[in-house]
Amino acid sequence: MNRFLTIMASRWTRLVLVLLIVLSLQTTVFTELRPFGVAVQVVLLMVVVAGSLFGVAIGSLTGLVAGLMYDMILPTPVGLGSLALGLAGATAGLLIYFFNEPTWWMRSIAVVVVSSLGEIYYPLVQATVGLDGWLQLRLLKVVLVVSICNLLLSPLAILVCRWTLSERKTFA
Amino acid sequence: MLVLTAIILITLDLQNSSTISNLRSVFGTVFRPIESTTRVVTRPVNNAWHGIFDYNNVLDENDRLREQVAQQEGATIAAAASVRLAQELLALNGLPTLAGINAVTAQVIGDSPTNFSQTIEINQGSESGIRVGMPVLNAAGLVGKITKVFTDRAIVMLITDPDFALSIKVVNIPRTTTTTTTIARSNAAVPSPVVPVDPGSSAGTAVETTTTTTTTTTTIAGFTPTVTTLPAVPSGVSSITVPLASELAVRETGVIEGRGPSRQPIVRFIDNSLRFGDIQVGVPIVTAGGSQSLSPPDIMVGKVARVVERLGSAGPMLEIELVADLSNLSFLRVLLYQPITEKPVP
Repeated sequence: MNRFLTIMASRWTRLVLVLLIVLSLQTTVFTELRPFGVAVQVVLLMVVVAGSLFGVAIGSLTGLVAGLMYDMILPTPVGLGSLALGLAGATAGLLIYFFNEPTWWMRSIAVVVVSSLGEIYYPLVQATVGLDGWLQLRLLKVVLVVSICNLLLSPLAILVCRWTLSERKTFA
Repeated sequence: MLVLTAIILITLDLQNSSTISNLRSVFGTVFRPIESTTRVVTRPVNNAWHGIFDYNNVLDENDRLREQVAQQEGATIAAAASVRLAQELLALNGLPTLAGINAVTAQVIGDSPTNFSQTIEINQGSESGIRVGMPVLNAAGLVGKITKVFTDRAIVMLITDPDFALSIKVVNIPRTTTTTTTIARSNAAVPSPVVPVDPGSSAGTAVETTTTTTTTTTTIAGFTPTVTTLPAVPSGVSSITVPLASELAVRETGVIEGRGPSRQPIVRFIDNSLRFGDIQVGVPIVTAGGSQSLSPPDIMVGKVARVVERLGSAGPMLEIELVADLSNLSFLRVLLYQPITEKPVP
């Protein structure tokens, strides 16, 4: 029983549950609300924020889990989202690593930069398995809109991510 | 480790692993109730967003559509009659028609959550008989094809997705002049040869007199491309139009490919034959059909918006203006059509 409670109380269980809700928001609200015809990527935002708050390892693992969940609902091959989001999480962790004591605005810059990169990683990864055709000028608009929207939503994402991924006292 | 895991997953999925399929299915079962709940909870947010940003667009569109409906009301009746006539003719000749293919009506319930996939989700799945590859239409024409099927829903890949490809026919009408023949008869009981001519020609008028006292007036001396026998008609003067073989619509097959939401799809692999002639802007594009094609023949796809000539034997590349408005899809029709090669052997 204690073992079960420990697993349920772990941050990874919380992460999966939170990501399920974030993914459902992605497929409902953020699919319909398309500023300038671009779908805002909140799953990517969660991964980037996780990377910028908790470092490379947690960031890439969060990206892997989120990407895997995303892949399950997309018609593209499973693993593409995991790779793209995993790379985005790792990049966010790496970027923050270079700041000694990252402040809120440094994290904001990291969110903008890595959101842009994360949005570019996906078509790049798609191209590696032959699903090319997405590397076109429209990508600039997509990157710009996604970065700005992620910047605006990042304070909320930081709160959620901190709550989700912080270590707590386990049941004795 | 991350890259390795991802590559293993990609490889497994591209090998059509049943484990991945089952995993998708289980995840779908868990995720759908959560998604449905979120959809219900967030509906006011969506409505508010559309109310703020789309209200003026909807008003403009409403006005435009009213005008369009008024314009098309008359044309629709004529078109329906023509379609019916064409279907009767096809049925009489034992040729397949779209009317003979069962269809399932489905509602669009979701859009693609990513910016790198042109797909939509519909609320009908395998329990309605839908299979991967079936063509999806709206009232205007082809919209896409089914790429993934679940029990009660399916994913439709739109024509604009870069992974979309389908064989099509370009129905070109070569730019030629109409041929008219004027016949003056003094003995109507005898069948008369009819000589089509090119009125654009500046040649002088010639009169041919046959032994049956039928007189045919042409504008080209001694030029007789085809001969048509006319039924007996009362004596007098009649004017008929007989199309030359070169004036009939010529069909050439090619492949339509999507290029993303911001660019028009293109048609490639068009044969650069002399008989096909110059492709005119505005000529229709329909599905090619055939035993290998996933779609039955003659579904309207679009019309040629631009012809890009290419050097060598590559043939022209055509940019296509789709007849279906893919930005505003609500109800669709899935044709329960499978080519002979895809049908399971009993």
